Amino acid sequence: MALGEFFSKLIPTDLFSGLALTGSYFFKKKSTVQYPEERTEPSPRFRGMFGYDVDRCIDCHLCAKACPIDIIFIRDHTEVEEDPETGKKKKRKVIDRYDIDVKRCMFCGLCEEACPTEPKSIWLTTKTYETATYERNERLYFTKERLMSWEGVTAYPGVVPPDKGMLPEDPSGAGAREKAAGGEAA
Amino acid sequence: MGGPLEPLFDVEEMELSFGPQHPATHGVLRVQLKLDGEKILDARPIIGYLHRGTEKLFEQEPFNQCIPHTDRLDYIAAPTNNQGFVVTVEKLLGITIPPRAAYIRMILAELGRISSHLLWLATHAIDLGAITPFFYTFREREEILDLFEAYCGARLTLNAMRVGGLPYDLPDGWVERCAEMMEAFPAHIDEYETLLTENRIWKKRTVGIGVISAEEAIDWGLTGPPLRGSGVKWDIRKVFPYDRYDEVDFEVPIGKNGDTYDRYLVRMEEMRQSVRIIQQCMDRLPDGPIMAKVPKVLRAPEGMVYASVEAPKGELGYFIVTTPKGSQPYRCHVRPPSFVNLQSLPVLVDGLLVADLVAVIGTLDIVLGEIDR
Amino acid sequence: MDQPLYQFLIIPAVKIVAILAVLLLVVAYLTFFERKVLAYLQVRLGPNRVGPKGWLQPIADAFKLLVKEDLIPSKAERFVFLLAPCLIIVPALLVWSVIPFTGETTVFGLLSEPIPAYLTDINIGILFVLGVSSVGVFGIILGGWASNSKFSLMGGLRSAAQMVSYEVPMGFAVVSVLLMAGSLSLVRIVEVQREAHMWFFLPGILALGIYFICGVAETNRNPFDLPEAESELVAGFHTEYSGMKFALFFLAEYANMLVIGSLVAVLFFGGWLRPFPNVEFLAFLDVIPPFFWFASKVGVVIFIYMWFRGTFPRYRFDQLMAVGWKWLLPLSLANVAVIALGILVKNHLLKG
Repeated sequence: MALGEFFSKLIPTDLFSGLALTGSYFFKKKSTVQYPEERTEPSPRFRGMFGYDVDRCIDCHLCAKACPIDIIFIRDHTEVEEDPETGKKKKRKVIDRYDIDVKRCMFCGLCEEACPTEPKSIWLTTKTYETATYERNERLYFTKERLMSWEGVTAYPGVVPPDKGMLPEDPSGAGAREKAAGGEAA
Repeated sequence: MGGPLEPLFDVEEMELSFGPQHPATHGVLRVQLKLDGEKILDARPIIGYLHRGTEKLFEQEPFNQCIPHTDRLDYIAAPTNNQGFVVTVEKLLGITIPPRAAYIRMILAELGRISSHLLWLATHAIDLGAITPFFYTFREREEILDLFEAYCGARLTLNAMRVGGLPYDLPDGWVERCAEMMEAFPAHIDEYETLLTENRIWKKRTVGIGVISAEEAIDWGLTGPPLRGSGVKWDIRKVFPYDRYDEVDFEVPIGKNGDTYDRYLVRMEEMRQSVRIIQQCMDRLPDGPIMAKVPKVLRAPEGMVYASVEAPKGELGYFIVTTPKGSQPYRCHVRPPSFVNLQSLPVLVDGLLVADLVAVIGTLDIVLGEIDR
Repeated sequence: MDQPLYQFLIIPAVKIVAILAVLLLVVAYLTFFERKVLAYLQVRLGPNRVGPKGWLQPIADAFKLLVKEDLIPSKAERFVFLLAPCLIIVPALLVWSVIPFTGETTVFGLLSEPIPAYLTDINIGILFVLGVSSVGVFGIILGGWASNSKFSLMGGLRSAAQMVSYEVPMGFAVVSVLLMAGSLSLVRIVEVQREAHMWFFLPGILALGIYFICGVAETNRNPFDLPEAESELVAGFHTEYSGMKFALFFLAEYANMLVIGSLVAVLFFGGWLRPFPNVEFLAFLDVIPPFFWFASKVGVVIFIYMWFRGTFPRYRFDQLMAVGWKWLLPLSLANVAVIALGILVKNHLLKG
């Protein structure tokens, strides 16, 4: 018995099975994704760079309130407009500034969830994640214009900036695009 | 003659500051060591290098806005952090969540447990010199993170649960994808076990290292795999079931000797049990709403509440104090499993060598984000 | 003796330069080879960005190490700190003077008379290799001590104990080959394997195993890489070294790996001989230069090294010593006794 134990210790089958496993992987397909040339496509719900549409935004400040770290900064004023036909005076809110300090953002998506417009006026489902810059204070502080035009952001291939007409994916399931299209048709 | 021998030369203890910048301290843990050669005479963990004041942040945020902050406690297993917080607040508010939400939560939490255990295995093995399991486990972890991304759009810091349910429903095809992965996963666990479980070097490094008896483990307040490795059948999912854990069937694996090897076996078996839970949840996944009827602005009654969940590392508890009609916690204390488990480090490494300290830190499976908060 | 200058100066000088140049190039590409092999074992691709398919990676690494800032810790023992890398690289290169890469060669017909391709063949070749290569441990100990860092010191001490205890079974494993070959000259050992119609790994399978394991330990490779155990001692004895001094440690490690590989090839697998060197039927294999056989044997050994690294965890310090003294030493002693007995039986009883 002791001799059997001795030989089982001498002939390391336990080690050989490990070697066989790693050795078999030597010839298998590798799982590396060669990043700049190949990219894995983010899921439709991927929370990345912000999209923002100032035309849809109703200036309700809910996104700023929902932000856990208060990085959305909104400044507005009220304009009184006169309808040239009826002569009625109408109050209208105008957004002066809508800034997001993206360098501090933790991409939790609560602002998008809070947005009451349909489709959302602020959304993160843009599949875009290449926002790295060499300078963070200027380049990663996004004003209203930059949020619309995405100047300085490398968009995910096939994604257009908000001012070219990007619409958010609806995270609850069906695409907002179809919804918006269906609404227009009806 | 007789009497103690005079040493020929001065023998002095060596003080060694192990960390905070060290490959094996899993972040920024610092261990102040007193060494006699390579033998450890005293080990004192020093923490606080990653303190971010998360508990204080909770006091300024409405309940739902606290959830992104909980992601950053144990950033390796975000779903259970979310779950712990929302379960606590739901207990405080007396909310019952719809069954579909509960089942999806359980799926997410168990996926999180698997991904956390995979990362633990990877780092534990690499600490003990085996570099290859790291890459094999990360391959599978990547698939789990892809599932998370498909569900909620983030890979690590999910922010995937809300008080009263869930923010999103599962996307189309998600269940099939998850089922496919769970089908293939046990074979991958077998691969890791081929590399390690019977390997004589692995056994030499782990059997009998960092032994803690069941009584001692309870005295030190250990929870999770370190407690179960010592043979105590204690799992919050079984003893205080939350969500719908009382409806699924799973075993609580326990060890015998309370050493590093047993804790390793317990975690490996836990992964298999998690697969079982996920498969049951997916089979029974009911239709229906994913959110209970809760007001937009949550107002809590005055009171205190403590609830805990079984996080991958042990019992993760939240203690919340609220003021009347408070929309945010007046005080929130987190009971992180890693913090409590870490305090047993000096006992576990007493009299071992420096190389074993690395094994013990690995087997405790600590995450500094949760310890320092 | 009619051309003493040519004979004693120019040819050796050319050989030295050629050996050093080839060796350093091979060592540089060995790091690349290792990274690729490890990557392939670990379902990834490894370095493939610098140059075509990553083939310029070692050059980029060397350049980076050359231009890197060369730090000397303020409280280090300056002289010893600088001496240590030299102490480790010199023996690692010196050993190559006696390693027989291939038999006699005419350098593809360039020379009228064949000359030996190795630098020299001394009659105590294997002893020289063992002796010189164990000087390298001083570099590790002194480097670890002079850095004035506790991690380095522990790495150096571990290394000293490890090298000393694994030299012994390694020596005995070599002794069993010497018994079979009857010579200490490495060239002669290869020739004996041709004459004996048999490579020595057949009778010496146990000696081969012991020699290989000890070789892994001698070169501080996984699973015996305690002196530089990253997760325990950061980088062990070379924690405080940077730039070119670090590169010298690195070069020495890989050069030593090659030495162990070459010795395995020479002692157990017939050096530069082709498989079945006496079988006429396979004579067509002679068109392949003998150096190819030598290199491929070394390559296989090195590959197994890397395979080990990609598979096994690391021993603990005391366990390493236990393996060395409690297993390898008795086994190697028993092996020497068995082989000596076998030779006795063969020479006296069977012939008589």
